[in-house]
Amino acid sequence: MQSADHAAAVEASRRQDEGGERLRARMAAAFFAAVIAALALVPVLTGNTSFAFYLMLWITMASALNIVVGFTGYLPFGYVVFYGVGAYAAGICYKVLGWPIPLALVASGVAGICLALLLAPTLRLKGVYFGIVSLALATIMRLIIANLPSDITGGSMGLILSSSNNPFASYYAMLLVMAATLLSVLWLAQSALGKALKAIRDDDGAAACIGIDVPRTRLVAWLLAALFPALAGGVEAWHTNIIDPEYAFHVLITAKSIVYAMAGGFGTIIGPVVGAAVLLGIDHVIWQKFPLINLLLLGLVIIALMLFLPRGIVGTVLKRRPQLRRFIA
Amino acid sequence: MLKVEGLQKRFGGVAALRGVGFHLPRRAILGVIGMNGSGKTTMLNCINGIYQPDSGSIRLDGKEIGGLPVHTIARRGIGRTFQVPRVFSHLSLLDNLDVAQGQMGLSAAERYEASSYWLNKVQLFGLRHNFAEELSGGQQKLLELARIMVAKPKVILLDEPFAGVNPGLAQLLIAIIAELPREHDCSVVLVSHDLTSIYQLSGHVIVLNEGTLLCEGDANTVRNDPAVIEAYLGA
Ligand SMILES: Nc1ncnc2c1ncn2[C@@H]1O[C@H](COP(=O)(O)OP(=O)(O)OP(=O)(O)O)[C@@H](O)[C@H]1O
Ligand SMILES: [Mg+2]
Repeated sequence: MQSADHAAAVEASRRQDEGGERLRARMAAAFFAAVIAALALVPVLTGNTSFAFYLMLWITMASALNIVVGFTGYLPFGYVVFYGVGAYAAGICYKVLGWPIPLALVASGVAGICLALLLAPTLRLKGVYFGIVSLALATIMRLIIANLPSDITGGSMGLILSSSNNPFASYYAMLLVMAATLLSVLWLAQSALGKALKAIRDDDGAAACIGIDVPRTRLVAWLLAALFPALAGGVEAWHTNIIDPEYAFHVLITAKSIVYAMAGGFGTIIGPVVGAAVLLGIDHVIWQKFPLINLLLLGLVIIALMLFLPRGIVGTVLKRRPQLRRFIA
Repeated sequence: MLKVEGLQKRFGGVAALRGVGFHLPRRAILGVIGMNGSGKTTMLNCINGIYQPDSGSIRLDGKEIGGLPVHTIARRGIGRTFQVPRVFSHLSLLDNLDVAQGQMGLSAAERYEASSYWLNKVQLFGLRHNFAEELSGGQQKLLELARIMVAKPKVILLDEPFAGVNPGLAQLLIAIIAELPREHDCSVVLVSHDLTSIYQLSGHVIVLNEGTLLCEGDANTVRNDPAVIEAYLGA
């Protein structure tokens, strides 16, 4: 009889523990749904979509970066390369090959994935070396593109996609990319794969010792983390009609992705969304009120964040208030 | 079950293993003792694939596993713990055990059942939602043992399971290890400096010295071997 009691007790605590996990996932899903719904309404309610468009772009960039940093512990300093290659793939397919925009955007994603596969051997490097090699490869990629025949890439002048202009459609394309990114993060956080990735992040050697195929598991995160910025790069090129070779591979894009994700909290699900929204909001206000010293002020805000909330906004809240771990992930 | 022959491993000029071998029968506990630097950890690292042995053979159930990747060897049924515990510090205790069953094709309920069984066994069930980093060093060693046991291994390699564990927890560990062969059909390679527990647990003991086998035999034989007394106990 005792074993029946025991089985019932195990079952009860399992129900309770699983309930907690499901609750967290539901809270995050609800939060994401609210963000997506609010952003979907912006073009309908106001004529000014610029802020919202870039908010979506940065949420995508920060959340996708979180997949590789938060779930595997690798910090790719050359992260911008996926975004730049996505932008160029869309631009070249549209402008030079004459493909329709939807197909050109698919090409962005494919280009991002191909590049990630090409760079996959670097995942065997240890953390710091990986970061530096990734930065070097991003620079090389920029040089290659800058030196391709200019009737393909537009050379140092870049590409102008004048006839494709459709701010409304491109806005919703970005919304779609952002939603797909958030869904992937949500799925990952719940899946066995996500747990394996976090185990790898904490100790890759020990992870291998419990049967996790470390290089293969890391590769999945790496491909996801490459796909979304590549798509975002393609959509942004469509939205602005311009691909500028300097900007498309600018180290500032990597830096912003890192800062936004960190401000919210690497490894938390909603952190990068919160971080991007808060910092972009602050940036926006500072820019309007103090146009001359805006970069200085933004720098101070970021330093203050790192000093006082080293785990990011969401990460710090969870550390200080463990009871909230039941609701927020 | 596990048969190791002529294992050699060099690190630059240092010959860490110079032809070590042993046979671990099914459901046995093999004790491994030896001074600091005698090659005990290196031997475990070669068996589970962390290091590629320079030569020698390692067979599990008659099949050669030497040179396979670490995760493949783990999936074939060899689990190990570390001299300094290596838990997944930012995963909860439950997730530490859950992730170790990721390759077994079990349902979430089955995984939970195994996790809660082993967490209860090592008396950590009450802390199951804590991050592993919030455990004491000794508790982390218990968690590591639970983490390999949920995967139902055929052979486990324990590297100094009692080091840094207070006497109370060590007693618990000894009791758990003692019943692994019979209750969980698991064979154990037990590396330890704690001679008392080795003699208590192991039917067969091997003594390593500078990468070679100094002597082997049952606990009593080893305890009274003059070469061991001289080299190991420094008497
Ligand atoms: N990764 C390595 N690189 C270079 N030398 C190593 C490495 N690992 C072990 N050694 C050397 O191999 C020898 C055996 O080391 P090992 O760690 O196996 O000893 P041990 O018996 O486990 O000692 P302890 O009781 O202190 O844990 C030592 O001389 C050590 O310095
Ligand atoms: Mg050792």
